Amino acid sequence: MKIKKLLFVTKFEELGFDALRSLLSLRKSALEHVVFVNVIERDRVAMRRGKGYQKDEEIRLREAANIRFIDWAENLFEQGMEVGVYIVVGSLVPEVIQASRKEDADLIVIGRSHKGVLEHLYSGSDVTELLRRAYTPVLVYKQLSETAISVEEPFERPLLAIDWSPGSLRAVEYIKAIKDTVQEVHLVHVADERALKGPSAMAIQKTRKEARDKLDEICESFEAAGIKAREHVYIGDPDEEIEKAAKDCQATMIVLGSSAKAAWVEKFLGSTPRKIAEDSIYPTLLIAPEKADE
Amino acid sequence: MSKKVLVVDDDADVRLFSVTVLEENGYTPLEAEDGESGLKMIKAEKPDLIILDVLMPRQSGVRLYRELKTAKALKDVKVIILSGIAKKTFLRSQKALTEFGGAQIPEPEIYLEKPVEPDELADVIKKVLG
Repeated sequence: MKIKKLLFVTKFEELGFDALRSLLSLRKSALEHVVFVNVIERDRVAMRRGKGYQKDEEIRLREAANIRFIDWAENLFEQGMEVGVYIVVGSLVPEVIQASRKEDADLIVIGRSHKGVLEHLYSGSDVTELLRRAYTPVLVYKQLSETAISVEEPFERPLLAIDWSPGSLRAVEYIKAIKDTVQEVHLVHVADERALKGPSAMAIQKTRKEARDKLDEICESFEAAGIKAREHVYIGDPDEEIEKAAKDCQATMIVLGSSAKAAWVEKFLGSTPRKIAEDSIYPTLLIAPEKADE
Repeated sequence: MSKKVLVVDDDADVRLFSVTVLEENGYTPLEAEDGESGLKMIKAEKPDLIILDVLMPRQSGVRLYRELKTAKALKDVKVIILSGIAKKTFLRSQKALTEFGGAQIPEPEIYLEKPVEPDELADVIKKVLG
């Protein structure tokens, strides 16, 4: 479960080389190979009445991406790293999934979605779609955005939100595998607000104690793996409380387990991983359960 | 029998360009679109010369070149690097890999930075293959 190879998906406007540089601390763990992916959306070069397929525009966009990637690749090659590149015309999510499969990547890094409100409503965001379809962990980076914090080393102090789902338990193992990069991990469990409406203060305290005990066990397993760990129990709305916990802990990243819910279910019921991936100011790492299909 | 030349490049246009130059000059061209499939083809076809790109999916030219030059059966295959990556970067990357515990390897026969003219490519192929 080590991160040996990462796929860095960029349209350049939302994710630059600085973001990648901040992830190179993963070399302390196992990172040795970076694969750049730029997907030229089909509608930018599609057939137009009276114009046909815009081959010249495709060449221009390909070369612009190529020149940028060559510059980035030179930097990495000179550090002894392995570098690859995909510049393709197509739809973002299927192309990213395909590249991830071909490369057998351990992590996909992508910027926050730039779709508008209406596009979100009708088709969901690229990030949501990717989370739904990718088995490979996805890091949603928030670099070139007005609402993002600046982080030098995102993996230094992750906040791991635990809900005991298979994805969040897999995240525990994922973080252990990069222990040389992680300085300290904060574990948070957000208990349902309904727990506050228990019959007595004792019952509420009992809920908190049970969650803490379970978190304690995970903390001990982190400590045994050589990672300093602290547990926290918050009560309330998970979307808000996880963000608050990240601030309180001065976290550098939020890590969550994700599930392969159908898009329409997410649209109506909502999803904490998706909301945090889209709205949080922190880089967000989402880890699907082991058996999700790509 | 004409000499076999393998072109390893992920860019289909560059492969077409190189293959055309090779055919016009009487060589037998072979093609591979990344380092991994290139290595398989080298082992299967034993080409006389490889025209190798550097920045490619699955396995870069940096690693493929290193694999060739450290494999007893393949180290004498001649290589022309044809890439957008600068020669000094290629050499520094090889130096870095040597410092990380890899073997010392020789420089490629010829290093050409893209783009090249057809005549220039034809001339260096002739020069390398004698």
